Amino acid sequence: MLRVKNLTKVYEDGTVALDNVSFEVPDGQFVAIIGLSGSGKSTLLRCINRLIEPTSGEIWWNDVKLSHISGEELRRARRKIGMIFQHFNLVDRSSVLTNVLSGRLGYVNPIASILKRFPPEDIERAYANLERVGIRDKAHNRADELSGGQRQRVGIARALMQEPELILADEPVASLDPALAHSIMRHLQQINQEDNITVLCSLHFLDLVQQYSTRAIALNKGQLVFDGRPEEIDDERFAEIYGREAERIG
Amino acid sequence: MKNQNGNKWWRQAALIAAVLVVYIYAVQATQINLEEPLKPRRQENLIGLIRELAHPDLFAFENETRSTNISIRMPCPEEIKGSQVTAEGRVATLAPNCATTTQDLLQLSGEGFKPNGRIVVFWHPVGSTSVRRLTDTKADAEGKFVTQFTMPDIRETADPQRIEIVEVIDRRIIGLSDTSNEALQKIVETVLMALLASTFGTLLAIPLSFIAARNLMESIKVPLAATMLAIILTPVLAGGGWILVSRLTTPLVNTDSGVLLSIKDSFLTFGFVGNFIYVLLFFLFLLLLPLLAALVGLIVAVVLGNRYGQEAMMRMSDGTARGVTAVLTFLGSAILFLLIALFISWLNVLGVSQFLPETTTGRVQMLLLPAGVVGAVGAILSLRRDPKRPFAIGFIIYTLTRGIFNAIRSIEPIMMAFVFVVWVGLGPFAGIMALTLHSLADLGKLFSEEVENIAEGPLEAITATGANFVQQISYAVIPQIFRQYIAYIFYRWDINVRMSTIIGFVGGGGIGFVLQRNINQTLYTKASVMVIAIAIVVGVLDYLSAQIRDRII
Ligand SMILES: Nc1ncnc2c1ncn2[C@@H]1O[C@H](COP(=O)(O)OP(=O)(O)OP(=O)(O)O)[C@@H](O)[C@H]1O
Ligand SMILES: [Mg+2]
Repeated sequence: MLRVKNLTKVYEDGTVALDNVSFEVPDGQFVAIIGLSGSGKSTLLRCINRLIEPTSGEIWWNDVKLSHISGEELRRARRKIGMIFQHFNLVDRSSVLTNVLSGRLGYVNPIASILKRFPPEDIERAYANLERVGIRDKAHNRADELSGGQRQRVGIARALMQEPELILADEPVASLDPALAHSIMRHLQQINQEDNITVLCSLHFLDLVQQYSTRAIALNKGQLVFDGRPEEIDDERFAEIYGREAERIG
Repeated sequence: MKNQNGNKWWRQAALIAAVLVVYIYAVQATQINLEEPLKPRRQENLIGLIRELAHPDLFAFENETRSTNISIRMPCPEEIKGSQVTAEGRVATLAPNCATTTQDLLQLSGEGFKPNGRIVVFWHPVGSTSVRRLTDTKADAEGKFVTQFTMPDIRETADPQRIEIVEVIDRRIIGLSDTSNEALQKIVETVLMALLASTFGTLLAIPLSFIAARNLMESIKVPLAATMLAIILTPVLAGGGWILVSRLTTPLVNTDSGVLLSIKDSFLTFGFVGNFIYVLLFFLFLLLLPLLAALVGLIVAVVLGNRYGQEAMMRMSDGTARGVTAVLTFLGSAILFLLIALFISWLNVLGVSQFLPETTTGRVQMLLLPAGVVGAVGAILSLRRDPKRPFAIGFIIYTLTRGIFNAIRSIEPIMMAFVFVVWVGLGPFAGIMALTLHSLADLGKLFSEEVENIAEGPLEAITATGANFVQQISYAVIPQIFRQYIAYIFYRWDINVRMSTIIGFVGGGGIGFVLQRNINQTLYTKASVMVIAIAIVVGVLDYLSAQIRDRII
């Protein structure tokens, strides 16, 4: 269970990116986070695994106070939280296999890992996860030799290596064409349903939201303006979330 | 509007006037003088110098000599005149043909000598088996020459004494001159000096560049109490590690009874490989092992402080945490102050030592009260913050490291060489130390800027997996900077070769040392060889390093 209480983030330049946001996510939900560009979606996701320091408020993952831990404890919490990025964030000059294996860094012996040594079972797991996302044959290519869709699959495989309990996906399909977008979303859905991993996923397209998520949370200028089932977003709600001038497409 | 324009006009005029004044003063202050270079004596000197430089002593010649003798009287008789000799079509004239004091200027001229031949003038003093070299010159294209000299010494005799004019006629090149051989040997020394300095500098700069990179360090935050715990533990563990290990290794490297020293000769029987191993072992025991022990102590202090300080903080209630933080901050800042104050008094910055007791214990006692005050201020300040909120220690370390890099970088390597010459003596070793230090700071800064320029995304992703600092570096940073680092190493090698030629001037070894000696002894034909050798090597390395950089990036 993820609990976010009165979360506020004010950037150093004074931008209020999150304004007193509170919500709870029971295990196993697929939550879509929606909102205009600049509404604070990325900030919210990054506060949860502390890539960004919250200004005030609390974040709890089960009985761990994510918002207040640091050092070793933070690392132990992070390894249970997978993250998938819009721009994939692979290490271009490393191989696909190395990129996937790096998902184990929170678990393995630090000294062995610096020498790029991983236990055989991790290597097997890496191949299995690549198999699962359908690119096992690319294991020994350099990451920058892959297409966008393939790169995002590497990103998913890397997150799966963490044996996560929670996956944060920040616009995972915004850089992909619609066909690929659906394939990536299906992978996430499968992970959510088969492995019972909670997914928080920010999305731009409402049709994707309605097709894949079980719940939607909407932000507008850092404030939570909607929290409910995706089907409930009618024209009235839409205008509240995206503003009066916005026009619904798709 | 009009007023504004007028204002501008005056301001511009004042600005131009000010700039003009600066330039006018600069001409005077820098003593620009156009009369001096026009004097004939200066011009002759210049032409002579340029000619010698244009005639580098590159090759050894098989040569042939031919002598012409002319006589000189000492002291001068009543009637002073010149003397002239003729031999096989050569005419040499000495005027006057006598000298009474060592100030008397004599002029020797000749005609019909070998065109462009080298001419050396010797004096055979009476009653001495050795000859004295008076001057040397060169015949022109028509075989004429004129040269002036004074006698270095006056030997009065009734009979005339002999002056020998030796023509040296180079026949053919038979190999490289001694000067060229020396240049070759020294330029190799210079290049190797630069190589070692670049290598050591790089090895040290790589780990330091990560802690001088803002993007890596900024995110390192731990509670204040954990930071202070690490600061308290550091002198104990790092200092203890150093002392312990160096106690153990001193019997090996002691300079009068060291085990290693006593078996040095058996190493040296294996030639330079033996020497290499010997130096390596000496370095290992003298510096590397104690340093490693100190480093391990430091790491343990940081890890312990970090882990336990942090966990304890999380378990404590807010009130207790605040109290513990205050106590640890008191101790931590007092210790830090004490260490810094002791260092400053040891350095005797601005002569502070005269106000302090002689012994370390005395000084510590005297500094205890101020340290307590500093600690108390720190503790009071610490009470104002939430003890569990992370404290940005990473940013502080980053700022300090960067600051030190910039400070060291701004010191000229030639200054560093001065200091090291005092410590390790004249020679290339001092040069290596100076260049290593400068390379370390320079590369440290360049490297850390490179780290700051990496794509943030992969680093973010690796951080999100729960990787620790070192893992983040090896998985997200190194793959992105590897090539640039290699390119910088070559670039630095190139710079170090240039710098080591300068460093030789203050005794730091290498070719600069020889160049300086040649210039001081006015052996310009030799100096010219050194200059050529430097130019070739610098040019080649410049080209190579550019090529390598192009290939890699
Ligand atoms: N590092 C930063 N410093 C200052 N302001 C920032 C920073 N990062 C984001 N912001 C601001 O915070 C607000 C929220 O940004 P955020 O990136 O969370 O929005 P988002 O909903 O993810 O937008 P998008 O859909 O474009 O990705 C924006 O106004 C943005 O300009
Ligand atoms: Mg975003």
